[in-house]
Amino acid sequence: MQNKLLLYISVCFVLLIGVASISLKLGAYSFEDSSLWQIFKNELSGNGLVSEMDHYVLFNVRLPRIVMAILMGSAFAVSGTCLQGMFKNPLATPNLIGVTSGASLFAAIGIVLGGHFRSYLPDVLNYSLISIMAFIGAILTMTFVYRMSTTRRKTNVVVMLLAGVAISALAGAVTGFLTYLTDDEQLRDLTFWTLGSLGGATWLKNGILVIVIFFSYILLLNKGKALNAMMLGEEDATHLGIPVEKVKKRIIILTALMVGTCVAFAGAIGFVGLIVPYILRLIFKSNYHIILPLSAVVGSILLLIADTISRTIVAPSEMPIGILTAFLGAPIFIAILIRFKKNL
Amino acid sequence: MMLVANKISRFHRSFQILNEVEISIKAGETLVIIGPNGAGKSTLLGMLSNENISDKDEIYFKDRKFSTWCAKELAHNKAKFSQENNSDIGLLVKDVVLMGRYPYFNASPHQEDLDVIEEMMKKTDIYKLRNRHYNSLSGGEKQRVHLSRVLAQLQNDETSKLALFDEPLNNLDVRHQYNIMETIREFTQKGNAAIVVLHDLNLAAEFADKVLLLKKGKVAAFGTPEHIFTEKVIAAAYNFPCAVFKNPITQCPMIVFGNQTKNCNRCVIDTES
Repeated sequence: MQNKLLLYISVCFVLLIGVASISLKLGAYSFEDSSLWQIFKNELSGNGLVSEMDHYVLFNVRLPRIVMAILMGSAFAVSGTCLQGMFKNPLATPNLIGVTSGASLFAAIGIVLGGHFRSYLPDVLNYSLISIMAFIGAILTMTFVYRMSTTRRKTNVVVMLLAGVAISALAGAVTGFLTYLTDDEQLRDLTFWTLGSLGGATWLKNGILVIVIFFSYILLLNKGKALNAMMLGEEDATHLGIPVEKVKKRIIILTALMVGTCVAFAGAIGFVGLIVPYILRLIFKSNYHIILPLSAVVGSILLLIADTISRTIVAPSEMPIGILTAFLGAPIFIAILIRFKKNL
Repeated sequence: MMLVANKISRFHRSFQILNEVEISIKAGETLVIIGPNGAGKSTLLGMLSNENISDKDEIYFKDRKFSTWCAKELAHNKAKFSQENNSDIGLLVKDVVLMGRYPYFNASPHQEDLDVIEEMMKKTDIYKLRNRHYNSLSGGEKQRVHLSRVLAQLQNDETSKLALFDEPLNNLDVRHQYNIMETIREFTQKGNAAIVVLHDLNLAAEFADKVLLLKKGKVAAFGTPEHIFTEKVIAAAYNFPCAVFKNPITQCPMIVFGNQTKNCNRCVIDTES
């Protein structure tokens, strides 16, 4: 089983590298040097053959953006898989239960209210502040939705989804209201949040993301067995020696952290957490031992492809990435609803 | 004594589900809990298996309170079969049974774990279903998958282990009922103990070493099957007339329920013809 898992992960990694190198080449700007390999080689040898434009686009625009797509796709997919395991339902994803909305609401508040002393802070603190706000928003919504929809260790899916709708509506209203209180620059930031885009990728943001994701994965990716056991019901999982409450707390805090950070940097990109586990379930059933680590790589592939399409399909302009993920995600949402309509 | 419960009570809001129940079980014993609906059987079994208990509840498993055990150690020594099994588990049968070995491996199962689940699947007659989807099984088959999982959990070198079963025979045909009861007996004869909630009094009479009769949250009777399965005790507990015979095949008490006041039409026709 373990060997097979390693094989699947390696195959996905190869695929991811393939997609990434294609994505690096595609875009509104075409490199003067036709071969990317040549650019890298020249860059490394430092012989000054790389034009300034090539260097800028490759290292300050395209590469950070690709890295961000990889990191965020992974984080969203893993969050989705973990939440589905915890809620024991394939519809429990960060954006359907309102966690992304909660995070963007708090991020918006952070931007508008923080605007007063923002200019005095260094960039690291600035981005961290918004991420922390988004994290607080995410964890508050997650706790609220979980408490509300779960009684006696059973989750009521209808309540869970409707709580998500309610929170999204509230977040939408407050964010809308905030747009009237803001100046131009903040308004641009807010619009960017509501649409979702990876356009603002920088190495600094990627650095923060790497830290958050690395830390979360160490504590989460080995929880496949626990999530499998929780399908039996939480009591029975406890009888198998699984520390259920501890696992749930860990999932709530870490997914909130990941979703919060992602939302703070790229806005509410929906559906990745729904699509990836769904595809993996089609192949591997609900075996979290396999789909949890795999979703970390497949999520990267999916979001990277989506982002590459979103920035090339209407080049030189750019289509919000949320449009693409929704195109994929909404039919899957409907498919799950049809399959589970008896159990809802 | 392997498990001792001292005057345990349980309330749901103001309603008392369990009222100062005392229970004890020795290694090598099968204790069967019987009683009418709503007597608190499942609640009692739940408490005895460490579900939702507080530190005030005086339950001692091998002379220690559950809270002093480490989770893994406890999982090696005690397993529970629950009545309400989730019907939607998107896994293969063998993967569900493998969960019983989760307390024994970290990332991937050892050969020993695979051997154990194979043996247990054969024992519960689900080996041929091992590559089927759990969700496609019938009620009785799912039941056996979980029994297999619970049995697999306790296959180790520990001594005096405890297995708890909440109505393990639901949905099973008579052959599988006997098969499961015999498997449980085999388990207890190795110096382990089992507590089983049963509805079938005749199977209880045949397989129990001790019987606990629960009524309205109280222990109505506790003792050997011969002691409990008398017309007076059973009729009073279930509020329904009964007669007790000796089972001609097993020589165990055999309980037959029937209401004399209402004549069965078919019996009347039989005697006339």
